[in-house]
Amino acid sequence: MLWKRQIPIIIVSLIGFATLLGWFIDQPTFKSFVDDDATQWFDILAAFAIFLGGLNLLKLQTQKVLTKQKGWQYSIFAIAGLLFAIVAGFFIKGNPDVAWGTHVTAKGTLFKWMFNYMVSPMQATMFALLAFYVASASYRAFRIRNFEATLLLSSGIIIMIGRVPLGSYISSWFILYLLVLIGGIVVNSFFKNKQYTAIFVCVGIILVTSAGSMMGWPLDQPAVFYLPYLQEWIYRYPNSAGSRSIMIGIGLGIFGTSIRYILGIERSYIGE
Amino acid sequence: MNYLIELILKMAKVDRRWIFLTIGLVVLIPLLYPLALPIRPGKDSQQVYDFVEALEDSSKVLLSCEYGPSTKPEIHPMVTSLLHHLFSLKKGHKVYVVCLWPDGQFMAEEALDEVAVERFGLTYGEDYVMLGFRPGAEAVVKGIVSDLRKLYTIDAKGTKIEDIPMMEGINRFEDFDFLFSGSAGYPGTTEWVQFAADPTDVPMSTGTTSIQVNEMMPYVLGGQIKGILAGMPGAAEYEELIGVKGIATSGMDAQSIAHFVIVLFIVLGNLGYFIERKRSKRHQGS
Amino acid sequence: MDIIGAWIAVFLTLAIFSFLYKDNPFYKIAEHLFVGVSAGYWMSFNFWTQIQPNLLGRLWPSKHYSDSSLWYSIYDMFGYVASSIFPSGGIDKGHDMHLIYLFPLLLGAMMLISLYKPFSWMARWGIAYTVGMAAGLRAYGVLNSNVIGQVKNTIIPIVGTDLPFFSLTGDSYFNNFVILIGTVTGLLYFYFSKEQTGHFSKVTKVGIYFLMISFGASFGFAVMGRISLLIGRLLDLIKYSGSEFHHASIWVLMAMVLLLGYSAYQEKENNG
Repeated sequence: MLWKRQIPIIIVSLIGFATLLGWFIDQPTFKSFVDDDATQWFDILAAFAIFLGGLNLLKLQTQKVLTKQKGWQYSIFAIAGLLFAIVAGFFIKGNPDVAWGTHVTAKGTLFKWMFNYMVSPMQATMFALLAFYVASASYRAFRIRNFEATLLLSSGIIIMIGRVPLGSYISSWFILYLLVLIGGIVVNSFFKNKQYTAIFVCVGIILVTSAGSMMGWPLDQPAVFYLPYLQEWIYRYPNSAGSRSIMIGIGLGIFGTSIRYILGIERSYIGE
Repeated sequence: MNYLIELILKMAKVDRRWIFLTIGLVVLIPLLYPLALPIRPGKDSQQVYDFVEALEDSSKVLLSCEYGPSTKPEIHPMVTSLLHHLFSLKKGHKVYVVCLWPDGQFMAEEALDEVAVERFGLTYGEDYVMLGFRPGAEAVVKGIVSDLRKLYTIDAKGTKIEDIPMMEGINRFEDFDFLFSGSAGYPGTTEWVQFAADPTDVPMSTGTTSIQVNEMMPYVLGGQIKGILAGMPGAAEYEELIGVKGIATSGMDAQSIAHFVIVLFIVLGNLGYFIERKRSKRHQGS
Repeated sequence: MDIIGAWIAVFLTLAIFSFLYKDNPFYKIAEHLFVGVSAGYWMSFNFWTQIQPNLLGRLWPSKHYSDSSLWYSIYDMFGYVASSIFPSGGIDKGHDMHLIYLFPLLLGAMMLISLYKPFSWMARWGIAYTVGMAAGLRAYGVLNSNVIGQVKNTIIPIVGTDLPFFSLTGDSYFNNFVILIGTVTGLLYFYFSKEQTGHFSKVTKVGIYFLMISFGASFGFAVMGRISLLIGRLLDLIKYSGSEFHHASIWVLMAMVLLLGYSAYQEKENNG
């Protein structure tokens, strides 16, 4: 139990306190250890953790092939891919002029070829798939069920249209006409009277048209309805306020959780 | 009118593969047949540009690349534009490149080859240096802040740091005049702000993916970051400011049309939803 | 090699995109290859950029190499087996000898030994070190920049200076007021220690509105980001459809469409 439980908790507390106090204590040896050596050890252990992950993957995929579980044929590709990468990393440089070590980044090596033509395209494509799903989700799931959802959708649409070059071609007057129509829908849903709706829409159109004619239909005036300016205001002010409150909340949460780890109250890393 | 309503309701139930195909075509066609829409630089991109313009002669600029192939379309144009801007000013700025992501090293090398080597014919070790990737996230940032030479004993090519001419006088983060972080996630801009720029007051700007922009805005508004290049539109705006059009500019046509189509999808989807809701209320009433 | 690489990249890209049609063997092959190659790539990269130069390079630096030393005879033995990792004369990365780095070597070795089930607890020590270090670093960084820094930046003038009352694109009293109200009400929404009823609920409702605007903006930016990734992939596919790559994109696309179409036809026949 001592090896499996108490020692890991002691390690977390010791290292956690040392790292935290390293910000405040100016003693050279201590500071040098915390800022330099402890940091290096963290990097080295992170590298070992990646090794652990890779070997674990090899172990699981091999078990799958040997026990002929469902889809074991595809596991052969996973193992082959891993072995190919290991061969490129440790056995075949491909460029004799490059030293071992720098071969992982130098041009003309098998490792770089693997990165350019296998790792890079696959990684990029996996992420690019999300573009399709976000479009599909917008169409099938994004519904204005209440005022909050309306706010969310409106700010999203304004940002999406206002941030792109095509958005600068949409005149403020078009937005004003759109608002008049939306206002008409709202009036109709409240009063359920076609006369009121018609009057509202007609008056709105007349007012907008008169104002536009008097001002000469400038593209970006009134500025508050010009999408690029409006999106910039939304993005810099109300959006930032919301983001800031989330950031402060999360920050306090992270601080609390970090202290819990350092004090040994939180022990999820040992499975408790 | 009824026909239109039935059409909208039918479209609301369409197989999502037709939506995928539409999005694919809507993005592909403008890439093959560009519209060349003009780009209007925003305030945040302008702030980054102005800050770089105002850097004093022979400034030491730390460029940190933390992005990979998946986010290359957004961040890479920013990095190449920034390098172009720094070198084209001919003020003798020195660029030091570090990477918090391993893929960032490949991306940075590509950018340096394209700009420093091919475009400007600059000399490695005198005008720019690639210090390279170190794993450890915030621990690396902390290491650079306290003692860069302990963390980087050799550069990415295996040359000892003391043998590189432009590394003279560079011992820690405060020896740099400006930091630019091209960041696609963790570790990235947030770690640079929290552990480097904020505690030391070395000015920094950043270019991030669109998804991260919201997280960064509080830092921008608070002055902890001097301007931000927000996603591909931000990269295109910076390309417009430096007068060198690249991939970001060519992608903006496709981006514009795709956004419009997605907004149209949202509107159509909601129209279908409201019509369905009204009909079901009417059925319930009767 | 570049042309072969281009064809492989195109195949892998289109294989992953084929998932949009439906799950199929092309996608499964690409997915498993991605997992295997990525794991191998990370293992190799981290070994050569971290373990070999920073750990082994500090335990057996070339500066202190000596033929007669027992410590370096162990190194020479390793060198007979793997001369690329242990080049003759020690590892020359500019480090001095730091035998204290035997600790991360021990912790790293324990992580790897944990692959064997009876010793799975051994990984806890290395994990405990990284958790402690991360907790100590985060606690300070997040509190300083995300909490204190953001609170400081929310203390902005709403009266008494020469700012305009309202500005769409610059600082103004109205905009500062929006930030102040949005941040405070957003934070109050996250205060769950008090029941959100009465006047308090009205205040938190305002907070929700600001948060919804923020989420809407996030949605807009997310769409923007995803479309950018898709643009990147399509630009690569367009590049590889050129004659210098023997129209790779076109041939591979045609082959996949034919094969998937044939398989869909066969499935329909079998079901019919």
